[in-house]
Amino acid sequence: MADKLKLYGKEFHSRLLVGTALYPSPAIMRESVAASGSEIITLSLRRQSPAQQQGKIIWDYIQESGCQLLPNTAGCKTPKEVIALAEMSREIFGTDWLKLEVIGDDYNLQPDPFGLIEAARELVQRGFKVLPYCTDDLVVCRKLLDVGCEVLMPWGSPIGTGRGLMNKYNLQTLRERLPDTPLIIDAGIGAPSQACEAMEMGFDAVLLNTAIAKAQNPVLMAESFRLAVQSGRAARNAGLMLKRQTASPSTPTLDMPFWQQTISAENGEKV
Amino acid sequence: MGRLLAWRLSEKGHQVTLFESGSLEKPAGACHTAAGMISPLSELFHCPLPVYQLGMQSLQHWPSWVSQLEQTTGTNVDYREKGSILIAHPQDRNELLQFQQELNAKLGPENRDQLQWLDNNSLRNLEPELDRFDQGLYLSSEADIDNRKLLPALLKAIKQNKIEICENTPVDCTPEIIQTKNGSEHFDLVIDTRGLGAKNQISRLRGVRGEVMVVETPEVQLNRPVRLLHPRYQLYAVPRANNQTVIGATEIESEDMSPISLRSTMELSSALYSIHPAFAEARVIETRVNCRPATMDNLPVVESEPGLIRINGLFRHGYLLGPALVVQTETEISRLTQATQQVT
Repeated sequence: MADKLKLYGKEFHSRLLVGTALYPSPAIMRESVAASGSEIITLSLRRQSPAQQQGKIIWDYIQESGCQLLPNTAGCKTPKEVIALAEMSREIFGTDWLKLEVIGDDYNLQPDPFGLIEAARELVQRGFKVLPYCTDDLVVCRKLLDVGCEVLMPWGSPIGTGRGLMNKYNLQTLRERLPDTPLIIDAGIGAPSQACEAMEMGFDAVLLNTAIAKAQNPVLMAESFRLAVQSGRAARNAGLMLKRQTASPSTPTLDMPFWQQTISAENGEKV
Repeated sequence: MGRLLAWRLSEKGHQVTLFESGSLEKPAGACHTAAGMISPLSELFHCPLPVYQLGMQSLQHWPSWVSQLEQTTGTNVDYREKGSILIAHPQDRNELLQFQQELNAKLGPENRDQLQWLDNNSLRNLEPELDRFDQGLYLSSEADIDNRKLLPALLKAIKQNKIEICENTPVDCTPEIIQTKNGSEHFDLVIDTRGLGAKNQISRLRGVRGEVMVVETPEVQLNRPVRLLHPRYQLYAVPRANNQTVIGATEIESEDMSPISLRSTMELSSALYSIHPAFAEARVIETRVNCRPATMDNLPVVESEPGLIRINGLFRHGYLLGPALVVQTETEISRLTQATQQVT
């Protein structure tokens, strides 16, 4: 049975989404994207004078990856800025997919929940397929669904911190209370093990940038994340065992003669 | 790159003609905007190994070239071999550790002495003004040069060597031919160092916007380039004569040449202020914007065919890579000359 990620009616094999910033060079960025197996990549326009298309060379280079582009609104602080940038992105890249970011705090880059909902409502009305970067607050997430978002991207921890899944209780609550909504952990993932953990918890995908782009070997790290996400998803599908209080032997000891137990112990076998 | 190469080749006895699309007295290229750092170790953090290796080669050439240039032109270009310092605020200590870890991995055990951890006292000994910081890294082999002095000195040397200069002359370069609006001229060899001017000839050449400020205050005296490591805002501060400091630089994937943005101004100046509060009263003397010519792998391009050498993609490493690429070009000229002689 194909285990595909379905977002806004489109299916993807990969459950890893990656960013395109901070790499040592555009060439390493594209090699890393390929190694990650990602089919969806984000890119930022805010500082590149999009109205004058001054970043066209690098945008074309990114587009040649063949991935679904997910332009983001990084750096925007108000719905007004977001809407203007979103319209420009749609015109430049010919896609109505949008990673919505409305930053509410400069220090930890925490999303502004109020601005986020306001912007999401307007963008959905304008025909955008909105993937909002949000906190792990259940109520905010519900409001985003109410205004028409079909996918949510709660943070694991603040952008670029590499702290992994900071509030597992909230994240678990989101997963349980919104079982039919595609949930993508976005931001804060610093290690493949954290991405794997997110997938084991049942999240549909993971989005990250810094951990790959800033690695000593970004291409190798991208591959590592690809494997981790695949592994976490497979583990989730396979069904993880629940933790127990009491130890349980993996080799049955019932009816084993006492001298066999001694031999097993000498051979280092667990009993 | 062009005028450095012209000077070196004329010193080697070649007859050189130098074409410049604008004015050599008032250069518009990234060479004029840059801060003149020659910092192979600092760059190794972001760049592939060849940039470091070429930079180390350049460091070997700069002292004798500067000495010769200063002697022949009677001009001081403020070449400084005092190393550079990296600092981070206490909450960003991991940035220093990450830098150290990554550089050590790239340099290998035999070169790790190029990186020196500074504690409170050793940092103050080198830079007394950095008394807000308790730790840092010292890259003792790095250097810097005042490009605002170097460029006129090179021009003076070029004129002394009787190089023919054609200013305000945009050109197209093909093997042995320079094409201007007035027609074509034939040369034994054309060397194309036009940066973004050669965009149509170099595959995937792009401009990367950089914004720089120059501030002036007598209250903060730094002795060498200082880099502030921060998760979001990277800053260098390069002290210059007359109490001036060059601070930079943004790196934006855009070919926009419009004036510096308010956001960049705020980021650069607040990062500078966080180094020393007395910078608050510094006067902003100048803001500069330019686009660095870069390839997709951010490595320089040296392409050669009979009658034409193209040098481009120096990105933010003009002064770091310049001498090494000049020497490479000299070698390539010898090779091309020998090949031509064998054919004839």
